[in-house]
Amino acid sequence: MKEIIRNLIVVFGFMPIIIFLATTWVWAAQEDNSASSHRWKDGAEIYTKICAYCHDAQVAPPIRNRKLPLDYIRNIVRNGNRAMPAFRPSEINDESLTKLAEFISHQSSQH
Amino acid sequence: MASKYIALPKGVSEKDFDAAINNFRKVLSDDAVLTSAEQLAPYIKTMMPVADAEHTPSAALLATTVEQIQQIVAICNQYKVPIWMISTGKNLGYGSAAPAERGQVVLDLKRMNRILEVDKDLAFALVEPGVTYQQLYDYIKEHKLGLWLSMPAPSAIAGPVGNTLDRGVGYTPYGEHFLFACGMEVVLANGEVLRTGMGSMPNSNTWQVFKWGYGPYLDGIFTQSNYGIVTKFGFWLMPEPPAFKPFVIQYQHEEDIVEIVETIRPLRISGVIPNAVVIAHALYEAPVKAKRSDYVSGPGSIPDEAVDRIMKDHKLGIWNVYAALYGTQEQIDVNWNIVTQAFGKSGKAKILTEQEAADDPAFVYRAKLMRGEMTLTEFSLYNWRGGGGSMWFAPVSQARGSETLKQMALTKQILAKYGLDYSGEFIVGMRDMHHIVDVLYDKTDPEQTKAAYQCFDELLTEFSARGYGTYRVNTAFMDKVAETYGPVQRKVHKTLKKALDPNGIIAPGKSGIR
Repeated sequence: MKEIIRNLIVVFGFMPIIIFLATTWVWAAQEDNSASSHRWKDGAEIYTKICAYCHDAQVAPPIRNRKLPLDYIRNIVRNGNRAMPAFRPSEINDESLTKLAEFISHQSSQH
Repeated sequence: MASKYIALPKGVSEKDFDAAINNFRKVLSDDAVLTSAEQLAPYIKTMMPVADAEHTPSAALLATTVEQIQQIVAICNQYKVPIWMISTGKNLGYGSAAPAERGQVVLDLKRMNRILEVDKDLAFALVEPGVTYQQLYDYIKEHKLGLWLSMPAPSAIAGPVGNTLDRGVGYTPYGEHFLFACGMEVVLANGEVLRTGMGSMPNSNTWQVFKWGYGPYLDGIFTQSNYGIVTKFGFWLMPEPPAFKPFVIQYQHEEDIVEIVETIRPLRISGVIPNAVVIAHALYEAPVKAKRSDYVSGPGSIPDEAVDRIMKDHKLGIWNVYAALYGTQEQIDVNWNIVTQAFGKSGKAKILTEQEAADDPAFVYRAKLMRGEMTLTEFSLYNWRGGGGSMWFAPVSQARGSETLKQMALTKQILAKYGLDYSGEFIVGMRDMHHIVDVLYDKTDPEQTKAAYQCFDELLTEFSARGYGTYRVNTAFMDKVAETYGPVQRKVHKTLKKALDPNGIIAPGKSGIR
């Protein structure tokens, strides 16, 4: 918190910060912090809840069990390809992307 | 000396940007401040017919808390660095995750993905911007809450906050999404946190149940705007009805659309049909079942003769009217009689339900959309031309049959001039009608890309000249559309901007506002 206040004082000056933090604290007191952020369980979940809607639905080509190179999959996911949108690390982080690439590339028994 | 950044914000020196980036890193962790070309690649790809360079960000910030955003706007004010907010970043055909202007810093809110509350009894949700429809859908199922979502066609990968803030629509009775919004938390450019409506009152528990609060209603100014950063968003959910009856009504002639709209309007206004009715042209539905290359090759738009063959081969009407009934079985039975009598009068309609159309892939995905089930099947549209080019042309008109044929004729004429197909549908809201046309083109073909840009520009020019306003547009054409609404509205928008964001740090250019 000290770091936050120091940064804000540098930017806004002292007086407005008092009002500003008071406002923030009111909301913070009301905040339900029990809710947890979403985390992917594994590659299969990412595939099912994103990729499969196109790649298993005749919208986009099948990609599973084709032994596609992991780096190729990672590259397509991050950059997109023609109509396929790119997916950012905020959506699928690097660790999850590796799991996804392994899931796509390897045998179907994992699914 | 080459810059260490792939782009810089307009009017910001590299030295100042260095300082801003260093401060961003102090607020966020190092790995949440992205500046390299590799890191920023997913923020650059769009489906618009303009060079990626025009929408290349200088950096992306992966914030996770309101407090971080407050500090980020403070830094932006100090260094006059503009930010462009995204939530799920899947505004496909409208600009995707890329900023409106080269050099803007993307404030990526995807990691703010907490479902803060879903109330089963009052049927509302309060979520952060990064929550996807899929995530909320899973949560509702897991907790057996008996509530339905309304979402746009990119369902699973899009989210309620971004879609509603851009005034997107869905296909259930809650499909006019902003109509069902109830309460926002907004970080303003000066770092203050505003909760709209009842949320401004300490100890109130009515933030998500009463929209208006006291005094001027503010939520609207945070949609399609750049007056603040929405960090929490409340909205109403539809209780799962005991029964659901989707149907499609097919017509064989383009001119039948006059009758279709005249039949639908009273059913919509009276509430007999509670969801927005989609009147999809054969070419909008064809990609789910057919390949363009099987019917036509070479340049130019697809001829009517080929469209006729597609209709016959794939059991499509030239118009395919999708709607549904919701409620108890008794309610549905009564309303079904009204619907079938209304559409049956002329003898032109072919009425199909799940009984006849359960195996039809177009019907299946439309039925899913009308009950809030996840599907991305509408992305089949992108295979029609291939090459990843798409822009949504979306003029609004009165819900009158007389508006349809002249709009369709003008659209087809302009598209044909540039060799593009008419992939269109009319969506009858309550009293309005959206004419939604996916301007599809091959973005890997420079000539077609250039033609698509000119085509879209001409569509906007010609439609606005006839009084048809566009309700939403991609980031390459925001200024042009803003201009069509006249100088007074632009001046008011600008006045609000100056008051709320004097340094112009929040998404300059959004809806043509700077």
